[in-house]
Amino acid sequence: MTEQHIKHLYWRAGFGIGISEFNSIRNQSNSKIVSNLFTNSKKITPLALDLSEFVSLKNKSPKILKKEMGEANFQKLRQKSQKKVRDLNYAWINKLTDSKELIREKMTLFWANIFVCRDTQIFHIQQFNNTLRKNALGNFRTFVKEIAREASMSKYLNNNQNRKKSPNENFARELMELFTLGIGNYTEQDIKESGRAFTGWGFKNDGAFFLRKKQHDYGVKTFFGKKGNFNGDDIIDIILEQRQCAKFICTKIYKYFVNPIINEKNLEEITNIFYKNYDIKELMTYIFNSKWFYNEENIGVKIKSPIELLVGIRKVVPVTFIKKKQLNYLQKMMGQVLLYPENVSGWKGNKNWIDSNTLMFRMKLASLILNNAVINLEEKGAFEDSFNQYYKNTKKRNTYIVTSKNWTIFNKFYGDLSPDALKKLLLISPIDTDTEKFLNALEVKSNKNFCIQLMSIPEYQLC
Amino acid sequence: MKRRDFIKNSSLASSLFFVPSFVKAFENISNSSIGYKKLVIIQLSGGNDGLNSIIPFTNDIYYKNRPKISIKKNELIRATDELGFHKNLAPLKNLYDQGYVSIINNVGYPNPNRSHFRSSDIWHTASKSSEFLDTGWLGRYIEKYGKIPHSGIELNDSLSLIMKGQNINGIATSNPRILYANTQTPYFKKVLKHQSDAHLSEHNLGYLYKTMIEARSSAKYIYQTSKTYKSNLEYPNNAFGKQLKTTSEFINSNLDSKVYYISMGGFDTHANQINRQKRLLSTFSKSIETFVLDLKQNNTFKDTLILTFSEFGRRVQQNAAGGTDHGAANNVFLIGENLKKKGFYNKGPNLLRLDKNGDLIYTIDFRDIYATILSKWLQANDSEILNGSFNQLDFI
Repeated sequence: MTEQHIKHLYWRAGFGIGISEFNSIRNQSNSKIVSNLFTNSKKITPLALDLSEFVSLKNKSPKILKKEMGEANFQKLRQKSQKKVRDLNYAWINKLTDSKELIREKMTLFWANIFVCRDTQIFHIQQFNNTLRKNALGNFRTFVKEIAREASMSKYLNNNQNRKKSPNENFARELMELFTLGIGNYTEQDIKESGRAFTGWGFKNDGAFFLRKKQHDYGVKTFFGKKGNFNGDDIIDIILEQRQCAKFICTKIYKYFVNPIINEKNLEEITNIFYKNYDIKELMTYIFNSKWFYNEENIGVKIKSPIELLVGIRKVVPVTFIKKKQLNYLQKMMGQVLLYPENVSGWKGNKNWIDSNTLMFRMKLASLILNNAVINLEEKGAFEDSFNQYYKNTKKRNTYIVTSKNWTIFNKFYGDLSPDALKKLLLISPIDTDTEKFLNALEVKSNKNFCIQLMSIPEYQLC
Repeated sequence: MKRRDFIKNSSLASSLFFVPSFVKAFENISNSSIGYKKLVIIQLSGGNDGLNSIIPFTNDIYYKNRPKISIKKNELIRATDELGFHKNLAPLKNLYDQGYVSIINNVGYPNPNRSHFRSSDIWHTASKSSEFLDTGWLGRYIEKYGKIPHSGIELNDSLSLIMKGQNINGIATSNPRILYANTQTPYFKKVLKHQSDAHLSEHNLGYLYKTMIEARSSAKYIYQTSKTYKSNLEYPNNAFGKQLKTTSEFINSNLDSKVYYISMGGFDTHANQINRQKRLLSTFSKSIETFVLDLKQNNTFKDTLILTFSEFGRRVQQNAAGGTDHGAANNVFLIGENLKKKGFYNKGPNLLRLDKNGDLIYTIDFRDIYATILSKWLQANDSEILNGSFNQLDFI
């Protein structure tokens, strides 16, 4: 494995590689490096915020709580829970930066954009997030079945309103359109029939699944040409019988982990692998061990997501955000706030991250969080805001992102690196020849400054 | 080079700046081929209660459903025998009296979605309610006809879906000076300074460089052109007034931008609607009145069409908190000098026939309005931009 290949692997399986890790594995074989990645991700470390102040939300129904606490206090508790989701967002981003379970965390992030979900109930959404993490490298069949039982998903796609007498087909539709098959690979009749199979699927206050038997339709359904007393699990099994399901997921995997432009031959190859057992780990191992994964055409050609950009910087220079809200601001300005997807179809990725405004912001990100650069752009208000809240930031001009940066650590590991080595470590994409000339002409006085400069050129936007 | 020198050098006089030929090409694109009409779109974000804005004051069902929050007959400004303006829309009523307003009632789409996010996306992308598009209808127009980011400007600091195209997007700015300054940061400027046009074809890297160049070019153009006109009118002293003032400076300085998008927040009135909406409608209509006057004084009103919309209307029945919940169809205001159908375009809402949620049922698809504006106002191929053919209405 060449050095470039190791960096490529680490950008796709994680968020780039630090110099010390790089030095420790650079002489290992390809298969050893890949298998170690998976070994290190065997462990599952769930996100676990301290939620003791919300414990009543878990134990009692909203109805009872309203009675006990009064409407006003209950609403307050609810809003607090809603705000707590922000803390989960920060905790998640920190986990992406610090976790040793690299590939598990990267896959969790990937799956969060397949099984797209949003919720304000902090217990449910934390549980949902951990379900993604638990299944990230597991079996896709089990994964879909667990997702279909999640309280947050049930609410997000209205399956909690799906009753025998008045079916709500929203979940059944998105299950096929966005989670497993893709549009055009099923009929409206398939949606209707499968919607019936998920009737009565509910959850308890603590987020545990339960079947409301009276609401469930036990009748015969016809789905993909088959007839039977299908329940939700049967429906998922039949969906997975379709090779299209394996292909649909592999397409998403390929675009995310290999190249935004599909190579049909490679796609066929991995679809065949995945279709056998729907084993996610097996699929990813195959991809990272395949020769074509390391082809030049696949290296440095993906536009980083805002989170990849942000976490990648923090992997090199340890940064702590003093005002946590500003972490939210940065995500908002770049168009990706974790746990707050804009709709169930998720973020489109690649070129869709980029417009004039986001690109200017992204190229300034390193200066903002590492070099106290001034920022004078406002985030947009929310739909639910009052007029004053909506525009509350309009007067805040010239602010700073308040962070503490650990340059001591940076200097310890990167201080003595040659400028060329630093450049090669940080930039994986081919460098524009004019920009390369410009970089070569710079007199590098300190690696600290050179690092910020390298992170501020367009090539750093790619991985 | 030291960092300090790096910064110092990059702020050298821009006259020394080497401008590659392809950048010049961007800057010299003439918009004359696509006409001089302007479109200003204002989203009343959160979902304005259309029923309490334009009130069906002879309708008993309206009063029965809203015992606490209905607008009394003697507290509104009558416009027809059946419909009246909220009294704080008086400035809009003045424009209406001059024949500058056309109100289209019951605008919506099949299978309405009641989530802010989703319904807003539907309005922005002009999609069906069952379809997810990743480009906005104005973005597609910009990409096809404007070909440069500043063909479409959003009065904000980040770009909304409505302005996004596939490879070319509009540009967002609430302050052109700051936008310009942000393209003059050391790294941005330095990297571009050393650019020649040799590598722009490569796919993602080329796209990034191309976007940078366009951003810089558009930012500079917007800043340098718009500073030639400063409005002398006093707009209401609030953020929305400021957005409209900046828009008038863009239009009146003859910026060749075609479409503008502004979102005004605050309309999600689940509670205490009466007082909140009063303030909102006052802010809205006073600012609009000043804006129209500003355009008129500069002879640009005749070439400007203003469209307001909300992602949805609100439920007919009031809720327990003195407000209203998310609904479906709603009214849309069109403001301009040469409207074909002045006043009310169609009949008011039918409160006898509601959907199963108790919401108004649409009679005019919002994409009919887009199609009409695209073909009759912007001289564009509407079915191409909207991925389908829609009815042509006759308001312009």
